[in-house]
Amino acid sequence: MRYFTKQQGQKEAVPVDLEALGGERYKLTVNGVTYQVDALALEHGTMSMLVDGQSYSVEFEENGDEVGVLLRGQVSRFDVADERRLRLRAGTAGFSVEGKQLVTAPMPGKVVKVLVKVGDEVKEGQGLVVVEAMKMENELKSPKAGKVTELFAKEGTTVENNAKLVVVE
Amino acid sequence: MPKIRKVLVANRGEIAIRVMRTCKELGIATVAVYSEADRAALHVRTADQAIFVGPPPSRESYLVQQRILDAAKASGADAIHPGYGFLSENASFVRACEAAGITFIGPPASAMDAMGEKTRARANMIKAGVPVVPGTTEPIATEAEAREYAQKIGFPIMLKAAGGGGGKGMRRVEKLEDLESAWRSAKSEALNSFGNDAVYIEKYLEKPHHVEIQVFADTHGNVIHLNERECSAQRRHQKVVEETPSPILTPELRSKMGEVAVKAAKAVNYVGAGTVEFLVDVHRNFYFLEMNTRLQVEHPVTEWVTGLDLVALQIKVAEGEKLPLLQAPEPQGHSIEVRVYAEDPARNFMPSPGKITYLRVPGGPNVRDDSGVFPGYTVPNVYDPMISKLSVWAPTRREAIARAQRALSEYVVKGITTNIRYLRAILAHPEFVEGDYDTGFLGREHTTLQGVEDPKLSEMALLAGVVYAHQRDAKRAKTLPGAKAASSSDTGRVSAWRQSLRSRRR
Repeated sequence: MRYFTKQQGQKEAVPVDLEALGGERYKLTVNGVTYQVDALALEHGTMSMLVDGQSYSVEFEENGDEVGVLLRGQVSRFDVADERRLRLRAGTAGFSVEGKQLVTAPMPGKVVKVLVKVGDEVKEGQGLVVVEAMKMENELKSPKAGKVTELFAKEGTTVENNAKLVVVE
Repeated sequence: MPKIRKVLVANRGEIAIRVMRTCKELGIATVAVYSEADRAALHVRTADQAIFVGPPPSRESYLVQQRILDAAKASGADAIHPGYGFLSENASFVRACEAAGITFIGPPASAMDAMGEKTRARANMIKAGVPVVPGTTEPIATEAEAREYAQKIGFPIMLKAAGGGGGKGMRRVEKLEDLESAWRSAKSEALNSFGNDAVYIEKYLEKPHHVEIQVFADTHGNVIHLNERECSAQRRHQKVVEETPSPILTPELRSKMGEVAVKAAKAVNYVGAGTVEFLVDVHRNFYFLEMNTRLQVEHPVTEWVTGLDLVALQIKVAEGEKLPLLQAPEPQGHSIEVRVYAEDPARNFMPSPGKITYLRVPGGPNVRDDSGVFPGYTVPNVYDPMISKLSVWAPTRREAIARAQRALSEYVVKGITTNIRYLRAILAHPEFVEGDYDTGFLGREHTTLQGVEDPKLSEMALLAGVVYAHQRDAKRAKTLPGAKAASSSDTGRVSAWRQSLRSRRR
């Protein structure tokens, strides 16, 4: 089965071919290199992974479409989808910053400042909304250059995690 | 002064638990206070008694003096320990405690008045002959005034909350164009955190070290210092890593700074635990920054190298006892503390409140974890993101770094994102390892500290991520109606040594 993975900050998706060998064993091919992987899934989203005699204790954290992987103190975040899911997600923003971008609240908090209005042209990285959480103010930035087409954020209101704030198109 | 029998801890989180631990060891009963957001918090369970004080926002609960005093009276507490933050540096609260006949475990209101408001502290220190950083001695009223003064002393400058600490209401301003937004956010953060939006200006020194001296004074006029802490690893003026001894201090400089710190404390008739913060410039000149009139977050490193329990010492001093030592002890070995925050360094340190689904805390020789969390605990959105302080001790600095790294490698927090990997990147950074880092270190090295990635490990993480997604999807497919059961018979394809491994595993 072919999977597509995109690491945070990467532009192109990397294809990974996976063949289940039964039990916890898999054959994985990435960038032309094939690995034999023994991956024992454990409680609490942890995994004991053996590759070429090396032992890796892996911890996972799922956040929407993204999987956070903690391995020997290094955290990597991947968006992983198989071909079928990728087709389903075509047209949405999962694998690119093209098209319509919805900026959501990354944590529960309070909208203390809205820096844009509908119709504003914004640059990539420009501040859109300031959300306060845990006594710190966090400026949420535009993922792309474009125009603000929808605005859900209202100053002084509290928002839940993943609440819609701004759409940039 | 009578012996203290019951202490109300007017705080939450790790510091409340830290204070209660010592109280227990001293045979003193403890009372917790809690807001609606903290019913399930660990400090409530650690205490002998617990009293509700109001809604989640601290301004409506932990900061309401009358509620805290009422809780003390209702529980029969004869003393209040304020921890750090909240009411710990509030002189009017100290007076209210005195009026109510309750011992405040901390300095007298007069010393707080003299040192609490930063602008007044500067004026007092100038009078006492202590060197200070150039800046205003009064809070600035308007942005226009700030603009004018900043241009007079020249950029970069620092905006600082007069009533503040902990990096809140503090902004470094590089150029005039940035002043307006910095002014606005500094003032609003100051108001939200301290209920006082007064802000003043200081000249920003280039590449300074933040070195602070722990002082202790009793009611008999004895004042000593307990050496320094190096706190230059700061992000947005919030300390992230602290250590003692400071890698830049010579014994001569230590004793000179210690003397000045003692002089500063004496100038305001200080009592109890306090910290005099200095900036040390590249020429090893040092300037008074401010005095924290309370116990500090980073006190464990001092405890590691002096062998003292600072909370116990605070209580004894509050009971009127004399200090057990009358000169600074030589620092023994080396200690490092790292602050574990519920935040995501990869996403501009976005706070990450939420439920901790799994927690594995480090152990082993000379490792200490001061924490207020537990598995299943939901980190609330309304308080500081610090969830734990990990500190270690070792005979030398190099060994202490290795031990801190080892301990962090054992630390697993799931359900929320933490800065653990970021802390490891700091400890591995050559500037830190060499002990050659100033207060600009974390800001300057922001990208490096984010992106130290081993490509081999990234590849392994990629494999793990794909397998994880595959296993997850297979599990989901199985639960769908009509799903084809996944084949589990693979024995014929598994090698003999793998099979033997499997059977051993079972």
